[in-house]
Amino acid sequence: MAAAALCWALRAARQVLPSSCPRQVRSYYVDWRMLRDVKRRKMAYEYADERLRINAIRKNSILPKELQEVADKEIAALPRDSCPVRIRNRCVLTSRPRGVKRRWRLSRIVFRHFADHAQMSGVQRAMW
Amino acid sequence: MAVRGKYRPRRELQRQQNCPSTVQWMLFTVGELGQAGQFHMESSKQKLFSTSSVLSKDKDKSTAFKDSPPEGAAKKQEDGAETPKQQLLDIIGNMKVEVSYRKKLQQLKASENKKQAMNKVEGLDSEGSVPQGITEDTQRDKPLNPELVKAASAVASSLPHNKKQIESELLAQLRRHEETTDKQKKGGTINIRNVISEMTVKRQSPAQWGVRISGRISLQDEDGRRIRPERSSARSMDSRRSLKVGRRLNIFTKASTEPEHALKTVSSPTIWDLEFAKEVAAVTAQPPRNGFEEMIQWTKEGILWEFPIDNEVGMEDDAEFYEHIFLEKHLEGFPKEGPIRHFMELVICGLSKNPYLSVKQKVEHIEWFQKYFEEKKELLQEI
Repeated sequence: MAAAALCWALRAARQVLPSSCPRQVRSYYVDWRMLRDVKRRKMAYEYADERLRINAIRKNSILPKELQEVADKEIAALPRDSCPVRIRNRCVLTSRPRGVKRRWRLSRIVFRHFADHAQMSGVQRAMW
Repeated sequence: MAVRGKYRPRRELQRQQNCPSTVQWMLFTVGELGQAGQFHMESSKQKLFSTSSVLSKDKDKSTAFKDSPPEGAAKKQEDGAETPKQQLLDIIGNMKVEVSYRKKLQQLKASENKKQAMNKVEGLDSEGSVPQGITEDTQRDKPLNPELVKAASAVASSLPHNKKQIESELLAQLRRHEETTDKQKKGGTINIRNVISEMTVKRQSPAQWGVRISGRISLQDEDGRRIRPERSSARSMDSRRSLKVGRRLNIFTKASTEPEHALKTVSSPTIWDLEFAKEVAAVTAQPPRNGFEEMIQWTKEGILWEFPIDNEVGMEDDAEFYEHIFLEKHLEGFPKEGPIRHFMELVICGLSKNPYLSVKQKVEHIEWFQKYFEEKKELLQEI
């Protein structure tokens, strides 16, 4: 959910902060897929508790099976975007879905670009 | 004097405090007037007058200090006896508790004085209900102002109960006031108490004064101009003393600012106020001159954490450990036997080992399950 937090921060940054020194503020998401990903993350956060509890009823060997079947149906009835499985960890700057390093939330190309310009703290070209 | 009906034993007027605005004085006068403990209405009326005298002190400035209250009261009463009365009644309503206690004390004293007063009774022109305990002094140096007398009679006539008696009591009050003023003019012994109370104010030694003055001098001028700041400082010290020293007059009631604040908070967030605030913030917020100021700004905004890092920022869990672990008391809504109970006990076991949730969240968790199982009750009963 780290990328989600970052994206939310970006959206929040759309509001102009009451400070005199202007900062570079990104006012748009990179593309629509990124926006959809943001929506999915939001919904997953909202429904997380409920999903956890219904799953606890489902993945159970104590409760009767009828109850578990009912729980199955309930969880299927929840909105599709609420499941965390649909979230894709995209690159934060380019929205690339593949080749994203989790620690930096950046795709490999962007990462290489910044590392070569010495803008990644503690990152060095490997040589051994 | 026109009316000399009532005679009273002369009280030690030295007991009277010199600030008529104090409650003590008022109560004392009340006690004096309400000697005969039988009729309370009279004494309440006298209370009214004494408080009116207290309040209308500011109106009269020509006569002496003591004379001013009754005169002012008289004048006020002449104009319109209703509005001051209402004010007085309000004030008395607040002060009634003290007054009643005082009254009892005075009544006790009155019973003692009655026996003395029995000897001094002269021709009474009062009604039969008035006891003979009330007496007055015949010794008088000055006759009262005819205006005061007229005013007293007018006041007495305006009131419903026992007009003559009220009038006589008022006049007795006035006489007593005049006597005290005469005493003051002659330099009587009344002021000792106030003087002593004033003496408790701190007095700085001249050495300290010298230190202060020298300190001031170092700021202003260094050569030759020592005399002026000394004098001015001395004068300012005296004036300061005279301003702050002294008993409270209790003329002004503290304006309660709470309702104003409440109103302000309700009506304050107008758009223009917000805009103005934003403008002010934008103007006053200068760009950071260096990295430190930048970091300060970031900390204020929340971008940068506060160091040393507090791991529990934002977590305000005031619950004790036993509230986290012993969650069985929340299981009261569940059946005591059966698979559901088994399931919930497992849930509780898991929650007790969870350090990341607050007690509130755990309780919500359990309540959700309770609601869920209640909805599914019919289904469960079929099984």
